[in-house]
Amino acid sequence: MEIRGVFIQDTFAEAFGMRAARLIITARTFRWARAAALKLTGFATSVIACKCEAGIERELAPADTPDARPGVSILFFTMDMDSLGKRLTERIGQTVLTCPTASCFDGLPDAPDRLGAGRALRVFGDRLQMSKVVGGQRYWRIPVMEGECLIQESFGVQKKGVGGGNFLILATSADNALTAAEAAVKAIDGMPGVILPFPGGVVRSGSKVGARGYKGMIASTNDAYCPTVRPRTKSELPEGVHSVLEIVLDGLDAPAINRAMRAGIDAACRPGVKAIGAGNYGGKLGPYHFHLRQVMADV
Amino acid sequence: MSDVVRLTLRSVIDQPIDCEGITPDRLAPLAEADIAKLTVWVGSRQARLGDFFDVKGERSDRLSIEGDLRRVDGLGVGTSGGEILIHGSVGRRVGAGMTGGWIDIRGDAGDDAGLAMQGGALRVTGNAGDRVGAAHPGASKGMVGGEIVVNGSAGTDAAARARRGLVVVGGDVGADAARAMIAGTLLVFGRTGADPGRGSKRGSIVAIGPIDIPSTYEYACTYQPGYVRLLLTHVYRRYGLTAENGALDGNYARYCGDAPSQRKGEILAYTPG
Repeated sequence: MEIRGVFIQDTFAEAFGMRAARLIITARTFRWARAAALKLTGFATSVIACKCEAGIERELAPADTPDARPGVSILFFTMDMDSLGKRLTERIGQTVLTCPTASCFDGLPDAPDRLGAGRALRVFGDRLQMSKVVGGQRYWRIPVMEGECLIQESFGVQKKGVGGGNFLILATSADNALTAAEAAVKAIDGMPGVILPFPGGVVRSGSKVGARGYKGMIASTNDAYCPTVRPRTKSELPEGVHSVLEIVLDGLDAPAINRAMRAGIDAACRPGVKAIGAGNYGGKLGPYHFHLRQVMADV
Repeated sequence: MSDVVRLTLRSVIDQPIDCEGITPDRLAPLAEADIAKLTVWVGSRQARLGDFFDVKGERSDRLSIEGDLRRVDGLGVGTSGGEILIHGSVGRRVGAGMTGGWIDIRGDAGDDAGLAMQGGALRVTGNAGDRVGAAHPGASKGMVGGEIVVNGSAGTDAAARARRGLVVVGGDVGADAARAMIAGTLLVFGRTGADPGRGSKRGSIVAIGPIDIPSTYEYACTYQPGYVRLLLTHVYRRYGLTAENGALDGNYARYCGDAPSQRKGEILAYTPG
């Protein structure tokens, strides 16, 4: 299969089930909402070392937020319910509670499974906090030096979240790989239900499970796709490929990942790209398999 | 099954009838003839719904009631689901004790509307009488959940002894609003009458219009409460009720009270300019 001269490899991306939450952060201006969102989603690229994965889903106009202020929608992922509650409480407490004018609302109001991150944070108010119910949802008003911080009591959990959707851009040069990756990120940016948790949405250090040279390593460099060690390892790089970048996607469900991969791969198929591949573990670890040629069917 | 059950009052009635128990969730499984046989009370005398109302439709949880209903009491009492649309003004106790569903009154409501309400939504496009959302006589608490929205004005004792829930009054509200309120919120767009929030424990009064702050409340600060913004946005989006320009982004003076309690209650008074 080829798209505009770019070979689509007959392989698949292997992804995992994750627990997901959607947060809506609002503030007096978009600048402050974004400031809180950037801190909240900071150092949240991979559960392996960051304990969570998070990213900005999209910017929200006042008409789309509960309090009619500018806002930012965030998707937040962990491997289980317990850690999702802990990470949410930590991060909302350190980034939204501290940020001038910011409030935090649940973005999955219909989800039956709930986590009481706002309820946990209420104790910062040292028994001076107040709770109020609006439209059937409880909110905590926590007194702070600025005035008051408003945080929703509970946040919905999507149990069918998917983490680790991915595709590899195999290019003739680092510049071409980066240009294609930027085009893919631009195409995916703002799509509902999906985030790209890595810097700028792009990963240069794809990993394999474990390591050959060091015991105890959970993951090490994906040497099969590293061009500089091509003669020293069992390389998977086609002839003429000198740089590879990876796009990693987390989504609220498998269809969201599928749509985003399709848009991203389509945008990445441009001059200077030899092939599109994907990372997997032989299909034995993750229950979600996104076969590239099925994802790109009829493009 | 029909889309809606229509009850039309045949003529003006000269004494009050009590329609307590005529709720959409109760009517939902009934045929037209069975609905007409439901019991209503005229004083201490039992009568049938069909003695006063023409009934059209069956097996629907949507109920439409028309006619001069000012002497019809207890409409929608205890409603747990479904919808009642009332064309015209109604008597006392409309929606009292309701636990769910939606009651929409296109007119005025008498005294005790939404008394001890537990859930659902009650909207009055006209005015409401005394004790909207308040407690039954002698009861320790009034409404414990749900939302009451009065587009016009309301009488005395609005939200008195409320434990939870929201009462919104688009016009003025009478004396003793939020008296002995345990928690919950009273939002008033117009003037708030004398002695608001007397004996309130953790209740909130949000006053967009003029309000005389009782001396037992202590000024805390003037700020922009995120809660009020959320509340006004919700009221606008769900009920179409808008506050005056500036109220959404404006400053509010916060007063803590009432003095005999631990000052956990509050009055948030809009301070334009």
